[in-house]
Amino acid sequence: MPQYEKILLKNMEQPGYSGSLQDYERTGGYQALRKVLKGISPADVTDIVKNSGLRGRGGAGFPTGVKWSFVPKDHPGPKYLCCNADESEPGTFKDRQLMERDPHQLLEGMVLTCYAIGAQTGYIYIRGEFRLGATILERAIEEAKQAGYIGQNVLGSGLTANIYVHAGAGAYICGEETALLESLEGKRGMPRFKPPFPATHGLYQQPTVVNNVETLANIPHIVTRGAEWFASIGAPPRSTGTRIFCLSGHVKWPGNYEVPMGITFRELIFENGGGMRSDSKKLKGIIPGGASAAFFTEEHLDVKLDFESVAQAGSMLGSGGVTVMEEGTSMVWAAMRLMEFFYHESCGKCTPCREGSSWLLQTLQRIWARRGRAEDLDMLLDLCKNIEGRTICAFGDAEVAPVVSTLRYWRNEYEELIREAEVTRPAKGEIPVFTH
Amino acid sequence: MKFRDWIKTITFYEILLGMKETIKHLVHYKPITLQYPHEKKPLAENYRGMLALLRYDDGTEKCVGCDLCEAACPSRVIRVISTEVPGEPTKRYAKEYYMDMTRCLFCGLCVQACPVDALGMTREYEWAVYDKRKLHLNKEQLLAIGDRAFPVREKQLEFQHPNVAYFNVSFKDIPEKAN
Amino acid sequence: MANQESDKFVTITVDGITARVPPGTLVIEAARQIGVMIPHFCYHPKLAPDANCRMCLVEIEKIPKLQTSCSTPVAEGMVVKSSVPNVEEARKSVLEFILANHPLDCPVCDQGGRCDLQDFSHEYTPTTGRFKELKRIFPKEYFSPLIETQMNRCIQCLRCVRYCDQVMDVQALAPSGRGTMTEIKHFSIHELDCEFCGGCVQICPVGAITSRLSMYDFRPWMLKRADTICTYCGDGCQITIQTKDNELIEVNSTHGAGRNNGDLCPRGYFGYHASVHADRLNHPLIRQQDGTYAEVTWEDALELIAERFSQIKLAHGADAFGGLITSRCTNEELYLFQKFMRVVLGTNRIDSSARYGHINGIQALRRVQGTHRWTVTYEDIVAADTLLLVGTNITETNPITGLKVKEAVKKQGAALITIESLLPIRGTISNITTLASHHVPVHPDYFGLAVLGLIKSVLEQGLATASLSERAPTFVQSIRSAVGKVPWETVERHLGLGRDTFVEAARTFSQAKRVIILAGQGVLRAPQGSDVVTNLLDLLILTGHHGRPGCGLGTLAEENNDQGAVEMGAVAEYLPGPSELGDQTARKNLSKIWGDEIPQSPGATLMDMLEEARTGRLKAMFIVGENPVATLPPQAKVEESLDGLEFLVCQELFLTETAKRAHVVLPACSYAEKDGTFTNTEGCVQSVRRAMEPIGESRPDWEVFSALSLLMGNPIEYGEAKEIFKEIRSAISGYGLLGPSATPPRIKDEVVDRYLQEGFKTDVEVRYAFEQENTQPDEMLTLASVQSLFHSGKFSTRAKGLLQIQASGFLNVNPVDATRLGLADGDPVRLSNTRGEATTKVKLLDRVPVGVAFFPEHFDQNIRGLFSLETDPQTRVPYFKLTRVRVDRMQEEIPGKG
Repeated sequence: MPQYEKILLKNMEQPGYSGSLQDYERTGGYQALRKVLKGISPADVTDIVKNSGLRGRGGAGFPTGVKWSFVPKDHPGPKYLCCNADESEPGTFKDRQLMERDPHQLLEGMVLTCYAIGAQTGYIYIRGEFRLGATILERAIEEAKQAGYIGQNVLGSGLTANIYVHAGAGAYICGEETALLESLEGKRGMPRFKPPFPATHGLYQQPTVVNNVETLANIPHIVTRGAEWFASIGAPPRSTGTRIFCLSGHVKWPGNYEVPMGITFRELIFENGGGMRSDSKKLKGIIPGGASAAFFTEEHLDVKLDFESVAQAGSMLGSGGVTVMEEGTSMVWAAMRLMEFFYHESCGKCTPCREGSSWLLQTLQRIWARRGRAEDLDMLLDLCKNIEGRTICAFGDAEVAPVVSTLRYWRNEYEELIREAEVTRPAKGEIPVFTH
Repeated sequence: MKFRDWIKTITFYEILLGMKETIKHLVHYKPITLQYPHEKKPLAENYRGMLALLRYDDGTEKCVGCDLCEAACPSRVIRVISTEVPGEPTKRYAKEYYMDMTRCLFCGLCVQACPVDALGMTREYEWAVYDKRKLHLNKEQLLAIGDRAFPVREKQLEFQHPNVAYFNVSFKDIPEKAN
Repeated sequence: MANQESDKFVTITVDGITARVPPGTLVIEAARQIGVMIPHFCYHPKLAPDANCRMCLVEIEKIPKLQTSCSTPVAEGMVVKSSVPNVEEARKSVLEFILANHPLDCPVCDQGGRCDLQDFSHEYTPTTGRFKELKRIFPKEYFSPLIETQMNRCIQCLRCVRYCDQVMDVQALAPSGRGTMTEIKHFSIHELDCEFCGGCVQICPVGAITSRLSMYDFRPWMLKRADTICTYCGDGCQITIQTKDNELIEVNSTHGAGRNNGDLCPRGYFGYHASVHADRLNHPLIRQQDGTYAEVTWEDALELIAERFSQIKLAHGADAFGGLITSRCTNEELYLFQKFMRVVLGTNRIDSSARYGHINGIQALRRVQGTHRWTVTYEDIVAADTLLLVGTNITETNPITGLKVKEAVKKQGAALITIESLLPIRGTISNITTLASHHVPVHPDYFGLAVLGLIKSVLEQGLATASLSERAPTFVQSIRSAVGKVPWETVERHLGLGRDTFVEAARTFSQAKRVIILAGQGVLRAPQGSDVVTNLLDLLILTGHHGRPGCGLGTLAEENNDQGAVEMGAVAEYLPGPSELGDQTARKNLSKIWGDEIPQSPGATLMDMLEEARTGRLKAMFIVGENPVATLPPQAKVEESLDGLEFLVCQELFLTETAKRAHVVLPACSYAEKDGTFTNTEGCVQSVRRAMEPIGESRPDWEVFSALSLLMGNPIEYGEAKEIFKEIRSAISGYGLLGPSATPPRIKDEVVDRYLQEGFKTDVEVRYAFEQENTQPDEMLTLASVQSLFHSGKFSTRAKGLLQIQASGFLNVNPVDATRLGLADGDPVRLSNTRGEATTKVKLLDRVPVGVAFFPEHFDQNIRGLFSLETDPQTRVPYFKLTRVRVDRMQEEIPGKG
């Protein structure tokens, strides 16, 4: 198993590391904050992050420093930082570990970000199911407050950075940044149309930066060790740094792996993950970046794990959830299961996504129940085309990705099921049961 | 040529040719006038006769009171007064239904307009009356015509079509608001 | 100049047509201006864009993805394409998605024929669908008596939810569930309990929310429409009455139409059945010897009236007559009534229901600034940056003016100062005080004192404008000394609020650029009503806002044509104009137009006439549509007065308590059956159009006056209502600014100057004096007779729709008082004071102030006896809306009440 230098998981992998403030300070915690407060201006912090080439780890991969620089400098009202800890993407479980095992790393990153963008308040919007994470974060905030790292007058510098934990109520869509803001405001979690972007009109219509947990956790390290160091890791110039990949599915050792960007899927799955679960079965498909990313096949094993290479190959790196499927897995079934998730989580705001998700799901269920028709496949593709790009947020693009990609690579499986349906065509009038 | 014409003229060929049909009928005599009402003419398959309202096999009226027949009628024969079915909220039916048959063109547009096939054209045509007011038919009369003209009734479906969700189906299991 | 112009506009090209529009315009609106209709469901000009239906996608050059035109503002040089293949394709697909789960029950849907979904489907989609799965079905949980939801038809555009929140501020509707199962619901499983403004019904693009009152009664193409004006309050909303075969089907209002811009309140939307109530009088009636009424022909009735009137005039002179007319009549009728009384009968003894309070405001306005109308418009309210509402529960009395205030506060961010008795607590209906930035909670007796406190605070903080001290030093001085005589302790003792409460409000008020004061019935219908309005005008003068554009004071009229009644001279003190009765030029001008002399005798107000009738001076009365017996408390002894008359003629819609005492009752037409004009509270004259034929033999009031004049040998004849209006325009200079936007009159500077130099002196001491009351705290509650949102006068209690919302009156008390008195919701109570006692039921309401109980005046037959009557010494307005009562829980149930 190859060893890479770990950044984010380094502390927590030390034996006996509890994630407490003492432990964190012992490993050099909050030094970045002290360094910054000693005389690096907010604009310089933003520049450091910009130069480091850090890109958002939540899914879209937008350059973090650039996002910060969109926040108006001379805004008279308050500004906000929101940490997107609503990690609900199927196959992704990195933020949870970061928050539960090393909360202060995130908090330090948030205080630094607050300093850089001029926000006095930061919210951690945490997924409702992460009860433990929320408790740990709240305890850590309390600790940091006692130690003067958070709150009014941080370390006597006059900086105000209050951080609050806000638990969601179980909606996947609230991981979308504008829906997250709506939910934080106490409204129904539905995305807002953009523009205006949150950087100028975000929480309570004030400038707001929304960043993922992993992104923010990287900030202290970048500040301490410099932009050049960070930019040299991974696959510069576009994809720098390490990335935590959540390996799951039919592999020997599922788990979080922090690796530099730019290694190949083969390295990740076969060298880090120990290969396929049963050695006799070959790899069939990979979901490269959480449920909303298009499937890859065995042919894509040598694609590099960086933003550009994956996008070139027709999918996206997304939230870093790599799900591996072995031979014998029905891809129709996989697409249907994913569609069930998307159907359940569609917020219902935009027509194509709302109606399309139930239509796609019902059609897939029908095909799976051997009631498919020959014209269904083209109709599925047509529906996907009509959903993609026609919605406010990226959920519409996400929900069609599994259907489109499985149809692209494993159309024969669909056709097989439809052929079976021809043979066992049910009596007229019998309709498969669909329950909402 | 000229000779042939001359022969035709003297033998009255053209006249005979013209008389051919007459002579044929003279020989094979068959009366054309029907001795109505003792005899009746066979009607065409798609004969458009008296209009009627239809019922389902369980006796409920098909009409949902949608007024579309009224809208389709070119000569303003039909007048529908629709309302909610008493005791079955949100279900619509025709409380009153009138047809002024004195004006009807028997064009059949109303039958085509009906979304639930509640209207039918019977093969009845003997509707001469001494008093025109008798041609002003109400719902009961129209249903009676339907009953005698279409003895075989369609079965009522809970859903008219699987893809038409709750189309004019009442919510019987929910009690009406207690006032 | 040209440069400025180009700065103000941007160029946009839609489908090859170029136009210049103001920046910030949305693409969909720009396209509409150009003449390209982009189909849409969720967009509505009144609402903030939400971009959820995805129907309005268009292609914009240089932007790769299709954009929603409802949320994209125009940019310079933007090129928009709305009919290219990929846009058409997108529309088709959106419609396909919407139709997938739509039940397609158009044949039984009331929206069929005017449904956006239907229209767009016809235009853009094939007739067969590809959706072969099962449609989603929402289980129905309840049925509502007025607003029925059929959620299977819903397309989740959320227009209703956004309207309910953004425009109405009620927030009764919300989407619940997720994805396809998103359902628009009330928050719990029971029928809607809200303001019932009907806005959701009107704004729904499909048939998901429909009105149950007209459910299944019509198809849109069968309806005959008439744009007319609502008669339920002074706001003057344009409504479209829709009839089918002379039968009222429904009422709605078009977006962009009238002063209300398509918004309505429950009275307007659900109250239309009042004018077709079964009790409407169909024939003229003459009272027989035995007290019963016989139906007679118009000829008989009119001849009898003419004969008796002539006899009485001969025997007792012209001043033996009195006339009373309701302000629900049109301007033409009010004008003709006063002309009939003045010319044919020869008396100035006329009054109208404007006497119940509206006259207070007009007299103050005339005195201080020389106008009788508002100097501001609804548009100014929306544009104002500070609004002061005094003594008005505006959302219940004048809901549409209330909407303008809400728009100013919610959309434009105006500051709102409310001096009101309501507590700022939200409920099922909206409450304007919850939007207030400064709320001064005042006991309903002390609105005047709170205004005094505000003025005092302005003067103490030195916020009065400096230039005024030069212009009118004595004015400022005398007000300063007058308010100085009322110490803060007194204010605090009575209001429970001290100096601090007013500091911020006074500062906000003084520093604002555009200020509007709205005075409501809490001021106008309470003692010293005219004085408080004058004081409010003083406040405007002191802070230097008076006369500035966009600033001014408005008084809120209760009845639809209170304003018109005064302008038409149908009150004791004014000739048409209104001009003073003694104004010689006006008299000369009018007698020239009328071709007759105007009587010299003084006028008599309602209370004076009743008094004279009691003493026998007044012999005959002509009462048109007014019902003093049921309006005034028993202390006024109206029955006694009317019974003493030799001859009483009533012209009415219904056989009211007053009409039952008449010798002849004439059937009149309701507003839906006649033509004319109404003047709303804002001073906008708007057309009333006949929507249906008169019921029975009823006739418009003006025809009756005209016919009577003929029979009495002094004909004043007109062919139609328009001819009367023409005469009104010639009689009143500058009248007749008909149109969608009112042009408000300007303040007369010479009148203001006169007031500032001399005029104020006559009563400044009195107006600012406050007599301390030595009331001991006791068990009694202050009972206020108030207006309900769901009713207007007694007329609306005959509307079946409104009765379904509110069928009877309840005594609304605060839970704190209820606990103190041991009352629970629905308990029967006995109200008693020295004047009598009455029984009713209790309903707890959080927003009612402690120590006060509200009772809706529409149902006050039972409790009217408790109220005292006080008549204003100057304006002769009868005050009978407040009293003190003892409230006791009754052990036994009230018989006959369910």
